[in-house]
Amino acid sequence: MGEGPITEEKRMFMTGNETVAWAALAAGAEIMYGYPITPQNEIMHYWTRLAPKHGRLFLQTEDELSAGFTTVGGVLGGRRAFTATAGPGNVLMQEPVSMAEMMRLPIVIVVMQRGGPSTATVIYSQQEVTLTTLGGNGEGFRIVYSPSTNQELFDYTIKAFNTAWRYRFPTFVLADGYQAKLREPLTIYDPAARGIKMVPTEAYTGRPGTPGIDRPPGQYRNTYNTEEELYEVILGLAAEYEKMAAEVAEYQSFGTEDATVVVVAHGVVARAAKDAVEKLRKEGLKVGYFRPVTLRPLPLAELRAVAGSAQKLLIAESAYGQLARLVKEAIYGTKTEIVPLYKPGLGVTSEEIYARAREIVA
Amino acid sequence: MSRIVEAYIGEYASGKSECAINRALELARLRREEVLSRVRKALEYRQALEVRGGKLEVGNLEGIRLANSPRRFHTSNLLSPTSKNRRFRVASGVTLVDLDVVEPFWTLRPLKKEIEAKGITVIAWDREDAEGLGEAGTVLKPAARWALARQGDVILDVGYGVGGARVLEIIEGYPENADLRVFAVINASRPMTATVQDIVDHVHNLGRVDGLVNNTHLGEETDSTVVQEGAKLVTAAARVLNIPVVATAAVDRVAALIGPRDCEGNPVRPLRRFMPRGFW
Amino acid sequence: MQVSPAMPKSWRRDTKPHKFCPGCGHGLALKALGEAIDELGIQDKAVFGCDIGCSLLAWDFFNVDTVQTHHGRTIPVMTGMKRARTELVCIAYMGDGGGYAIGSQHMVNAAARNEKITAILINNTQYGMTGGQMAPTTMPGQKTETTPYGRDPEVAGYPTKGPEMVAAITDERAYVARGTIARPRQLKEFMKKALQNQLDGRGFSFIEVVSACPTNWRTNAKETWYWVEKTLPTYFPVGELKVPEALRAGGGAKNG
Repeated sequence: MGEGPITEEKRMFMTGNETVAWAALAAGAEIMYGYPITPQNEIMHYWTRLAPKHGRLFLQTEDELSAGFTTVGGVLGGRRAFTATAGPGNVLMQEPVSMAEMMRLPIVIVVMQRGGPSTATVIYSQQEVTLTTLGGNGEGFRIVYSPSTNQELFDYTIKAFNTAWRYRFPTFVLADGYQAKLREPLTIYDPAARGIKMVPTEAYTGRPGTPGIDRPPGQYRNTYNTEEELYEVILGLAAEYEKMAAEVAEYQSFGTEDATVVVVAHGVVARAAKDAVEKLRKEGLKVGYFRPVTLRPLPLAELRAVAGSAQKLLIAESAYGQLARLVKEAIYGTKTEIVPLYKPGLGVTSEEIYARAREIVA
Repeated sequence: MSRIVEAYIGEYASGKSECAINRALELARLRREEVLSRVRKALEYRQALEVRGGKLEVGNLEGIRLANSPRRFHTSNLLSPTSKNRRFRVASGVTLVDLDVVEPFWTLRPLKKEIEAKGITVIAWDREDAEGLGEAGTVLKPAARWALARQGDVILDVGYGVGGARVLEIIEGYPENADLRVFAVINASRPMTATVQDIVDHVHNLGRVDGLVNNTHLGEETDSTVVQEGAKLVTAAARVLNIPVVATAAVDRVAALIGPRDCEGNPVRPLRRFMPRGFW
Repeated sequence: MQVSPAMPKSWRRDTKPHKFCPGCGHGLALKALGEAIDELGIQDKAVFGCDIGCSLLAWDFFNVDTVQTHHGRTIPVMTGMKRARTELVCIAYMGDGGGYAIGSQHMVNAAARNEKITAILINNTQYGMTGGQMAPTTMPGQKTETTPYGRDPEVAGYPTKGPEMVAAITDERAYVARGTIARPRQLKEFMKKALQNQLDGRGFSFIEVVSACPTNWRTNAKETWYWVEKTLPTYFPVGELKVPEALRAGGGAKNG
């Protein structure tokens, strides 16, 4: 344990970006590939400061296509590899991610959402939800965690590596510019000291022995000749994805049992939602809180149960209905009314959520 | 009190801006008190003169930047640096300069108006200035480059870690400015500066450093133990570096618990928190 | 009884005959590469990355670990792998569209960073798999599906000179050559040097292979060879453009 980057559990004061770099280090990530884009830069800054001290590697690429595809290359070589990006970089990142989906490559991508569309702002939004959950020319066979505190950024970055290597689907940690720069205390730890076992990596290429003599060659493709051939492949991927979905999906909730209004929010907005709902409940109002921690796969059964009992879902997000779109699909068939609180590219305060929930609670 | 020129540098998120803003405010308060005491003396002098039938000359109010006639002095006006009537406005003579060229719009910008209202000249980009600059706007405001040429006290808030400290190199008059002191702000609750050795290495990387500020804290969770533990580490590092610890900074709630000196004997500067209202 | 033709040891016999068209240059280039792998004895550590375009058909060509990537992205995939596993010999195999158009930023930057990989690019002057559109390498006047009246340099510029560009932006540690399927032995020597440059940990190596696509050129065997041997070398001169000192001593290949 003394060998690891974190020798003892301790309380530290950090920014979100810095937290990600430390978490990746603690998770045993061996190499990061990246291209500068605000607001994720300090992930690279801290990684490049820390990595050489712990025998880890870094490559600055020419763009996010290259950052994603070099990460793919590192993972194919059997290394715990990751990259980080935001906004327009996330758009480019979708191409390598689609390759990883098709070929079941456990790449880890940290996204710090910025304003969109286009270059927009470097600051903050939750407008990359659709892109991150369902981007690429495929079916969205990826896992997306949406943390809301620095502690969760640390915990879920570590977890993302394990989820990726356990299930072999590309895995995102989807945070945002506010979280990237947010300064708050958290406990950093060596996963092993907490009994978290890192899922071992496995090389796709360059395993011992000569191909064709000692072992068959490892040969991986993403091109198929016929519709039927592809159909079989996709159904196979879908079955594998659905099988793991219930195991991977995570959420937090309280006060939903008797609630007539349930506030649904994710990421940093969920912090404001939680405060607002706590206050409303203290006032005796039947308001509940539901926060999907995984945006893909969503905690379907739980979300449907909440939607089935509440009269209204107040969906608060810093986007123009991207979370709402996912929720609507998930709860299709229930009679719940959706009440929007959309502030694309702007923060959502607990006061705003409190006021809106109060207005609509019966 | 002679002219004070201080640059606050340090690791990213070490609390430089908080320390710089509070220092500027402290100086503004001290400078105003200084002016007020001189004015009071002047008023007493005038009374004494009038008793003797004499007249007050403006020249007697040396060092007071007032255009108005001595007859109109009212101490209440002097307490209001933003008084609409410019004749009653007393500048504190303190300038706060945001030298964060990497994230200039994310630091002092939201606080600029509030700090200016306290009689401090703030050299930082305004929201209106940001239009069209795009991305993070890595640009140095021209006035910042000449900040050391200003009269009065100058507090430089130098952003963004080691790269940030190098920003000083592009300020006109650095390093020949005799008044300038460069202080490194250290939060020992940050992983890169959590041990004496880490702090020493970090300060070596910063280049010129004339003193340390212990700003050890855990955000909302800060208690006096956290600050005192930091004081021990920072003071030990300062001994190795052979430079002084200028102060221990702590939010006023905790500063009150510690008293005027920390466990190492360093003066305690109470901090009013501004940055939570900044973007980050 | 069928007589099996001589094949490099590193080829996968069970996937032969290969999937390329009759008269295609890929088979000859891959034979030279297979022989180079055999002679250097690197079948156990070579990783072959193939692009999208006709090169993707080589995804099960060798008894070598192989990754089919995306169009233009083979260089970054092999770069990422080499950075993570320096003991592997990473070969990025692509067409002219992948290397000079959609993936040109990767070619330029991998070369500039002196990535220790080997890039092999098949220049057949058009996009074969998508049905014969103009490529960066299409010759002036050459008719393709998107230049039905011939490539007009005023409109579409002149053909890209890849090795010349790579030679210009690399330092003395890089190996850069242009070979041709018309000279298989020379091509094999170029490939050996390119791979040796990687094995030595020296730097980037790049070979453009002047090749043929009779299917899309709509040429018979005679016309095809005339193009490869006479027409194309007028614009794409064959030879070594950059040879690190250490590789010169061995000799072997000759320019021209």
